[in-house]
Amino acid sequence: MNRTLTVARMQFVAWRSVVGWPWAILLLSFAINLALFSAMGEKDDFEPTTGGLMSIYVVMFVASISAITMDFPFAIGLGVSRRSFYLGNVLHFVGQAIVYAAVLYLLAVIEQATDGWGVNLRFFGIPFLLVEHPVLRYLGFAIPFLLLGFVGIAIAVVFKRWGMNGMLTLSAVALVAVGGSAVLVTWQGWWSAIGGWFADQPGAALLVGWPALLTLPLAVVSYLIIRRATP
Amino acid sequence: MSPVVTVTDLTKRYGDVTALDRVSFTLAENRIYGLLGRNGAGKTTLMQLLTAQIFATSGEITVFGEHPYENERVLSRISFIKESQTYPSNLRVKHALRAAALVYPNWDEEYAQQLVEDLRLPLQRNVRKLSRGMLSALGIVIGLAARTPLTFFDEPYLGLDAVARQIFYDRLLADFTEQPRTIVLSTHLIDEVSDLIEHVLLIDQGRLLLDSETDALRGQVVTASGPVAAVDEFVRNGTELHRVRLGGTARATVRGDFGAAEHERARALGVDLVASSLQDIVVRLTTSSNGPAADAGSAVAADKEAVR
Amino acid sequence: MERSGAAGVMDDGRPIFLQIAELLESSILDGTLAEESQVPSTNELAAFHRINPATAAKGVNKLVDDGTLYKKRGIGMFVSSGARAKLRARRRDEFARQYVQPLVAEARKLGIDPAELKHMIDNWEETR
Repeated sequence: MNRTLTVARMQFVAWRSVVGWPWAILLLSFAINLALFSAMGEKDDFEPTTGGLMSIYVVMFVASISAITMDFPFAIGLGVSRRSFYLGNVLHFVGQAIVYAAVLYLLAVIEQATDGWGVNLRFFGIPFLLVEHPVLRYLGFAIPFLLLGFVGIAIAVVFKRWGMNGMLTLSAVALVAVGGSAVLVTWQGWWSAIGGWFADQPGAALLVGWPALLTLPLAVVSYLIIRRATP
Repeated sequence: MSPVVTVTDLTKRYGDVTALDRVSFTLAENRIYGLLGRNGAGKTTLMQLLTAQIFATSGEITVFGEHPYENERVLSRISFIKESQTYPSNLRVKHALRAAALVYPNWDEEYAQQLVEDLRLPLQRNVRKLSRGMLSALGIVIGLAARTPLTFFDEPYLGLDAVARQIFYDRLLADFTEQPRTIVLSTHLIDEVSDLIEHVLLIDQGRLLLDSETDALRGQVVTASGPVAAVDEFVRNGTELHRVRLGGTARATVRGDFGAAEHERARALGVDLVASSLQDIVVRLTTSSNGPAADAGSAVAADKEAVR
Repeated sequence: MERSGAAGVMDDGRPIFLQIAELLESSILDGTLAEESQVPSTNELAAFHRINPATAAKGVNKLVDDGTLYKKRGIGMFVSSGARAKLRARRRDEFARQYVQPLVAEARKLGIDPAELKHMIDNWEETR
């Protein structure tokens, strides 16, 4: 446990760049949007939403990949076990997700209170998440961080363990699986049923429930893979 | 005193390439070892196996009495300064040192700062922008300041100038004297370390050729030159590793036990004897057409001969 | 790469511990190390000659074993009384083997008979 904390702290030694990148990009995206919306002036007939919030999720996804590809060889080189590295890395990432989600939540509340920063900008509010329950709303920010983070970790771990061949195999398998099911669904005429299922799902399930369910097996599988990975 | 490292029949294969071939040896506490051999001989592979960075194909490894894989008790007592070590691209030199300080329980920060100054390491510079020599210097600082009971230096001075190398050797020796520990210096620059290492492990093409006290090796290999007949006569008491001829004179590199009596004999025969340096010995042993000669100082190598 | 590294004054061929022992002997012979004076510690020798401390210790121990040095517990190594005379006697024995024998052998090869050789040595002494 001690070593796990050490690894988590180790990944924060250059905390300026760790914390700086995601928020700098988000801030930039926000500034651009704010400028655009001020220039356009208020329009009441539609409620504009931007994809700008996605930027921080994308940066965190990339960060989760590089944490494995770059920090893993370094940590192993310093005599950290794979188990400690993985748990420390997860702790480091989950910790960030918890804090970042809280900040985003807070910003969304401010956005609502200030009528979209005075220019009716919906940047932090998630439009299709109509739940008003504060916990669910918070999780709506946090869980996608985790899902993307663990997808990134899983990809990076496969790369570390099996190299380029592993990546190619993984892509091929993913392609066949997605393509195959698309063919199957078309052939069976299930598209409308699937569309209906998605429509029936509450926003919270799409943003919180299902991603959380996907994250768990990814975390476990990544752990099993990294135990035999070489730096 | 139980050995720090015990390796038995260690083999590592990559596909059909055998990087290490049934290697066995032990490392005793508080000694400086030289892990010698040509590039690609298997030195780095061996150290990666001992630190559980990679996995053995077969054979046994014990470090501090336990297997190192996923073993925090063992791993936290080893530092392995790998020549090809990579660092996360967002780190500056000071960050890398801080990370090392967090990880190693015996880290000596004051000493690290002193070394940084001596080796003129730019603390603020990003690790990706360090020259080869500076990267080596960073490794040296980490390896020395970590003060781990078992320290591996894998070609620690690539790109370092003569002054920095001298600083490294002096610091290593001074620190070793103050705080004895087991140090393994892996290198192909043998001359530079020959006086520092107490024990030699020589690897060639994945096999352990030599496992011997350094001083015992000195005088074990000589170059004998003189009239062909005299050299022939002299060589009979040893193993000839190499020979060149010029007309009626010959120069032979011979391995054997060359004490005062043998020197006397050479003098009587009119053969000129020059003892070989450690570097010459290693060169001869790793290029000899006779293959690895059965080793007086190593039962292991002798066994391996017998097996083949 | 140039040979500049740790290698200090030691020559390559012979065991370093022997060379350390001989260096100490020479210092005793020429009076640099007086009898009953303290000998540099193993670590000082190691640092000075840039050699492994264990090797330096082996060299010192060789001299302890043959009685040239003795150990004062907790203080260090000292030159024994009478060590100088003993060393000189031993070196004189070695002198014949190390220097006279090859000299005579080389002289014989060149057809210089013993009387002529003796004459050469006498003259050599005079011309100095």
